[in-house]
Amino acid sequence: MDYYLGVFQTIGVHTLLGLSAYILLLTGQVSMAQIGFFAIGAYSSGVLTVIFSWNIYPALAFGALLASFFAFLVGFPALRVKGLMLVIATIAFSEIVRLITFNFVWMVEKDGIMVGAEGAQGFREIRYFTTNGWDSSQVVLLIWIFVAIVMAMLWWLDRVKAGAVLRAVGNDELAAQSSGINLTTVKVAAMTAGGFIAGLGGGLYAHAVSYVDHITFTILMATFAISYPILGGTKNVFGTLLAVIFIQGILIEAFRFLEDWRLIIFGLLIILVMNFMPDGLVSIFKKSNPGKGN
Amino acid sequence: MNIEFIDIVQALIDGILYGSTYALIGLGFTLIFGAMEKLNMAYAASSIGGAYVGLGVSVLLSLPLYAIFLIGPIGGGLLSVLVYICCFRYLPSNNHLAALMASIGGLFFIDEIISHETDGSPLDFPELGIFSEAYFEIEFSDMFLGFRGDLIFVMFASFLAMLMLMYLLYRTRLGLATRAVSQQPIAAQLCGISIHQTNSVTFILAGVLGGIAGCLAAASVGVISPLLVLPLTVKGLVVTVIGGLGSIRGAIIAGLLVGGLESVFLLLRGVNERDIYVFLLLFVFLVFRPNGFFGAEIDRD
Repeated sequence: MDYYLGVFQTIGVHTLLGLSAYILLLTGQVSMAQIGFFAIGAYSSGVLTVIFSWNIYPALAFGALLASFFAFLVGFPALRVKGLMLVIATIAFSEIVRLITFNFVWMVEKDGIMVGAEGAQGFREIRYFTTNGWDSSQVVLLIWIFVAIVMAMLWWLDRVKAGAVLRAVGNDELAAQSSGINLTTVKVAAMTAGGFIAGLGGGLYAHAVSYVDHITFTILMATFAISYPILGGTKNVFGTLLAVIFIQGILIEAFRFLEDWRLIIFGLLIILVMNFMPDGLVSIFKKSNPGKGN
Repeated sequence: MNIEFIDIVQALIDGILYGSTYALIGLGFTLIFGAMEKLNMAYAASSIGGAYVGLGVSVLLSLPLYAIFLIGPIGGGLLSVLVYICCFRYLPSNNHLAALMASIGGLFFIDEIISHETDGSPLDFPELGIFSEAYFEIEFSDMFLGFRGDLIFVMFASFLAMLMLMYLLYRTRLGLATRAVSQQPIAAQLCGISIHQTNSVTFILAGVLGGIAGCLAAASVGVISPLLVLPLTVKGLVVTVIGGLGSIRGAIIAGLLVGGLESVFLLLRGVNERDIYVFLLLFVFLVFRPNGFFGAEIDRD
């Protein structure tokens, strides 16, 4: 039973990660920075509950807000550099965050033992849930409540003007600009919202598994994050959820016996989808750079 | 530790010599970008893959040391053209991001295959024979500056490779076709140049450069590991952006600069923090000089 709870937990957290990339993809931006925001959320909320003994909810909120603040900061250079350059910049950002967590040491003594982040050893003993008597099904429920809230909000977003604005920027920047949409505001807003969702996911992940380190935040995870909405398509939020279930639930968990072949298959899968399934992806991007780069 | 001026100069020298491998990798990225206006994220993976092919074939056939440096570049070229076929050839030519994602898939595919075959552990890579033992010292006013023999070899080999590339690009019909495709693909096609054939050649050239860089980097470190792939990818991209996307001289200068600065950061801040500053350098350029040293004004996605 615990195993299945673990799978649900992973799928929930990865859905948040995928949705944070989804909202950016709506505006036509491919960001590899989501795992960096995830790391910021994980470490900052972990520090708050472990070192400062905060309650879980304000800690999660703070982690998400801090991540969205960094997303806001990254959003501005993102306006100078579009498309390919944005990808390079966000990869560099994620790697910088990962290397900072690798070097991050903040330990204090609590009840006779040292707790906190220990550089390359990672951040261990994030035990808020166990010390406060949560059992694992309650943790999974909490994660999925957040997933449901975020999905509902993104669903609602698509039904109001703001969603139309996001998609307008994604479809054709020039046309969006000429109908009075401020590209700067829209892109930075999408980046900030994406950072918030990724930071929330990071905080939940850190507390659910009680241990994070820099290996959690590699480029591979950034690729996972962006591949969910790309594989699932940006028609609606459920595509992302389905892609997460497909990759994490089926490819990674159900095919456990394939061991490290699973990641080889993941690489192959992306190549194949890009070659043969243009509808999930190509139709979105084609419109985002009309008449350019032929 | 008391760091004196001479230590920094020495670190800078070592770094610039080693940085010539970064220059080669940056050159490969920029060559492909210049030809197709696309990023090949699998490039560093195919370069390291080429070095693995060289090592593997040489060990299996028990060939002498220098065979690695011949087979490695060939392997790099083959892997690179394979990446072209899988991740670029059949994708829509105006869709930069699809090709980018496909090549990220290619990066993980190659990386994970290497990890799978070697159980993820580093392999010993033969050092450069007599060059590894050589060490020169030069007295400069009242400072003694050392030059490692293997790094000098790396520098010479890299520059030889660059000169060969320049010769190919600017003195042969093949290079003329490559440059024509990168400047005006449609006009080039009208002149009877096959775009796919030319692009394949560009990928092979870039792959050979990458294979050379992979072999040289592995030989000067003494080991080869799949863990080299991602840092080399990010550093190659940093070099490409700092030099200016599509600029050949920019990539060379930026490669040497990144190598030198990396070595100084290593001296000042240690191995764990070194790469943070190298990557931050990218943001400095993105904010203040987004087109790099020599990049053309880019106004595209």
